[in-house]
Amino acid sequence: MTARADPAGVPELTEAPGAEVVVDSVSKVFRRGGRRTVALAGASLRVRAGELVSLLGPSGCGKSTLLRIIAGALTADEGTVTVGGRPVSGPSPERGMLFQTPMLFGWLTTRNNILFGPRAQRAARRHERDDPELEDEAAALLDRVGLAGFGEAFPHELSGGMQHRVAFARALAARPSLLLMDEPFGALDAITRERMHEFLLDIWDQHRITIIFVTHDIEEAILLGDRVAVMGGRPPCIGEIIDIPLARPRHALDADTEVFLTAKRKIRAALRT
Amino acid sequence: MFPRNVLTSEDQILAERTGQPRGTELVLAADQGEHADLAAYRQVRRQSRMRRVGIGALGLAVLVAIWQLVAMLLNDPVFLPSVAQTAASFAHYFNRPYPAQGSPLWSDALISLRRILIGFTAGTVIGVALGVAMSASRVVRYLVDPVIEVLRPLPPLAFIPLFIIWLGIGELPKEVLITIGVIPIMAVTTVASLDEVPDDLRLCARTLGASSRYTMLRVQIRAALPGILTGMRISMAAAWTSIVAAELIAATSGLGYLIMQAGDYLNTALVFSGIIAIAILGLALDACLRGLLLLADPSRRQ
Repeated sequence: MTARADPAGVPELTEAPGAEVVVDSVSKVFRRGGRRTVALAGASLRVRAGELVSLLGPSGCGKSTLLRIIAGALTADEGTVTVGGRPVSGPSPERGMLFQTPMLFGWLTTRNNILFGPRAQRAARRHERDDPELEDEAAALLDRVGLAGFGEAFPHELSGGMQHRVAFARALAARPSLLLMDEPFGALDAITRERMHEFLLDIWDQHRITIIFVTHDIEEAILLGDRVAVMGGRPPCIGEIIDIPLARPRHALDADTEVFLTAKRKIRAALRT
Repeated sequence: MFPRNVLTSEDQILAERTGQPRGTELVLAADQGEHADLAAYRQVRRQSRMRRVGIGALGLAVLVAIWQLVAMLLNDPVFLPSVAQTAASFAHYFNRPYPAQGSPLWSDALISLRRILIGFTAGTVIGVALGVAMSASRVVRYLVDPVIEVLRPLPPLAFIPLFIIWLGIGELPKEVLITIGVIPIMAVTTVASLDEVPDDLRLCARTLGASSRYTMLRVQIRAALPGILTGMRISMAAAWTSIVAAELIAATSGLGYLIMQAGDYLNTALVFSGIIAIAILGLALDACLRGLLLLADPSRRQ
């Protein structure tokens, strides 16, 4: 990656636009003490560059396993995953990840949490951007996630929603072309979660990176996704993939529209099969 | 006393982490809404900390007052000297040698402190290294775990005759005694702290672009640091227990030896002076470790 700043002085956040993701008949079996558990059986999915796809299913349907295989934290027993045309082998900053808890580094200030990725990447000689430049980018990101006055705060001094926004900014600072989100707002209260949805859609609108969003909440899946991939079954696999023809930008109010309800009915039916 | 400490070290870490009632209502308030002003939030937390320290000082003052009161009622300085008599004795012998023993209090304190620091440092370095290795490799863990399980409940004092046979009567056996006591505590707390670091924190660092080496040093070990420092505080207390006990039975210098000599001659005020010297040194060393802990873990600061 090379340094680049636009004329207004606000650094560009993502170098590459979103990457295309191709998951081709991926299987995974866990063995523990002689017991075999099939976590995934031939899951296939194609996510277009810049698309936001929701991965919906009940607990234990293998959606987290699939996400971790795409992240490179687990290896598939069969099948392949390519992101941006390159096969996945091991974790990479091109594939950012957000977890159910914010996973902030408690000993670092908000600013240094955000700068963790750029600094780690510099240590790994992925770029040569200097500290002042990175500080500017951190300031811009803090501003973008609405935490301009909290650069020197430590994670424990922030509320749950604020912590998630820091995690978001930190993930963006690493400049991923794909963001994998594993039920990231599951632990938040309903009101904060609604705010985080609007925040996520807003950020995605600006950056247009590819996002795969894992959730077990049907409404959340519909509200966020261009498409909803329904997972389930024994052995677990990706079933129907349902288009969500809701216009963008979307808002929480869209949940009352006919389009939304139709999509919900389709997904309910798909979850039964 | 000593083996109990070791056995419950993990519980103690947990208690350290969860048991502190630090402005709970404020934390909750902060969780409910998004506070707009970080400085004001920190100010309130600081005030609640000051109040806590104030109450703690009051507890100590009550203890000293009860001591003084009982001493005045008994009026028997051999059985229980008053606070003033003890202070006078402390001041007197601080700079002058006790005849039966031959060296002033400060020099005995330095000798004990030196033994502690050498033994404790060696034990901490070896224990933490062992803990990291056990956490990183299953084979090492399975290999070392039973050894530690066997050694852990043994009071290090049982080894004194062995160390004297093997290492003579100089400083080395005393330092080794402390090291032997510290190693299992540090290994166990280091493994426990590293195990407690969530796998996802490591994955998170890796997806942000950190190499596995960078992740090990800057995330996993860093995240375990507060737990390791808490282990060091537990080890430090254990180190004082062993060194004073060793000096009571097998030494000709140090605070333990001074206390023993003073006791033999019924100089109770000097016994108390020695105990107070240990308390002061113990508190000072613990304060250093606690300072490091505050540096390492911002959530304990305000």
